[in-house]
Amino acid sequence: MTAPELDNLRLAQLAPAETGDVRGREVVFAVEGLEVSYGGAAALRDVTLDIRRNYVTAFIGPSGCGKSTLIRCFNRMNDLIPGAVVSGKVDYHGRDLYGPSVDPVEVRRRIGMVFQKPNPFPKSIYDNIAFGPRVLKLTKDLDERVERTLRHAALWDEVKDRLSENALGLSGGQQQRLCIARALAVEPDVILMDEPASALDPISTSRIEDLIHELKREYTIVIVTHNMQQAGRVADMTAFFSVEVREDGTGRHGTLVEYDQTTKIFTNPSDRRTEDYVTGRFG
Amino acid sequence: MARVEYQASLEALEADLQEQGGVVLRAVAGAINALETQDVELCDEVIAFDDEIDDRYHRIERSIGELLAQQAPVATDLRLVLAVLHSSIHLERIGDQSVTVAKLTKLSAALEQHTELVEGLCEMGTRAAEMVRRALDSFAARDVDGARELVDLDELIDRTNRAVVDKVLAMSASPGMQEWGMRMIVVARCIERIGDNAVDIGEQTEYLITGEFHEFSDASH
Repeated sequence: MTAPELDNLRLAQLAPAETGDVRGREVVFAVEGLEVSYGGAAALRDVTLDIRRNYVTAFIGPSGCGKSTLIRCFNRMNDLIPGAVVSGKVDYHGRDLYGPSVDPVEVRRRIGMVFQKPNPFPKSIYDNIAFGPRVLKLTKDLDERVERTLRHAALWDEVKDRLSENALGLSGGQQQRLCIARALAVEPDVILMDEPASALDPISTSRIEDLIHELKREYTIVIVTHNMQQAGRVADMTAFFSVEVREDGTGRHGTLVEYDQTTKIFTNPSDRRTEDYVTGRFG
Repeated sequence: MARVEYQASLEALEADLQEQGGVVLRAVAGAINALETQDVELCDEVIAFDDEIDDRYHRIERSIGELLAQQAPVATDLRLVLAVLHSSIHLERIGDQSVTVAKLTKLSAALEQHTELVEGLCEMGTRAAEMVRRALDSFAARDVDGARELVDLDELIDRTNRAVVDKVLAMSASPGMQEWGMRMIVVARCIERIGDNAVDIGEQTEYLITGEFHEFSDASH
């Protein structure tokens, strides 16, 4: 049988379409030659990578590798740390995130963040969600917005009858989903998560992971995690960072070792250091 | 070196595969030897020995289940575990082919035989056993070139297999040889499959080393 005939076979037509080509996806953040230092000491050096739309991108690596430092560059959280200096390029949808005309408050509206420890305001569940929209004067149909957001964060069914109760009365896992909902309430474009499940029990963790899978349809997500299996479970792309000790004895800094599709990182990493880390042979 | 226990489990797993390989090679040699000498007792031994091969396969499968559940291997470790699992299944199949050769030898013992054809089949069997040895050695030495060379060795066996079929067809004019000839076609096919399984193990070796899986030869050829 010749090749053209084979193409006509129904079997050939049943072949699955090629899935998600990474390069074809819109770039949300383009990072080039990024360096971050605190008080003159480099914490992270020479990072170049693209974060792509509707992908979950995980940053993994040992303590001190700069993964949290990098994620904080994406919503200019490092601006709030005295002595922090960011150099190199961070473009957000093609615009310099650190350009003089960029308003950091507007940046943080578009790029929401969820932290390791749930940090709800000591207010009602409703007010936690309504806080951001009120600040931004998005008060039209506020009740609907609160409900929509809580549904989005897979929390509505658990809290709909006690919206006026204090958010601090929720469980840890519920508080974390409330914080995710709070980030969603102002209609961001990107959600940054800095170890969002490391303080939670396994059931709450899997709820958060399910939520991440749901949310990536509409949002771009960047997650820092110490849990490699979690990166394997939720992320499309994974960046591995490591700590480099400077030869001149001036200290150590984080560096990007490898950035690729998660399946590649966990089945056939290119760099020996990644291999050693993901297989647990570091140290 | 961190994860000492884990590392030891991986090494034990690979040692189990090589041991299974050694046992399977004994089965292949036994089957070919029985064919050559028409030794019915040896045929029975080969048939009974298959339980040992199956047990070893199940032991490897169980160890892999435990490793996956408890250690969540990734990267090279994951590839090793998958390659061992597949190779162990291929070895188990080689054991099954040896059993079929032994059963057919037993069934054909009382029939009129064609000595030259038996010699040809035994030579084929020896080559197949060499391929299994080569596949196991390449796996252990992480020798991707050695694994890829299995395809050339397999081609020799395939050629002999085709020659056996031609010979049996030529013999079919002689009525007394028909039953024996038909059985020997199946024996040739079993030995040919042993060669294919050795190539399959070679493919696992390449996957283990490179992270890319591809079939060494196209099934349609």
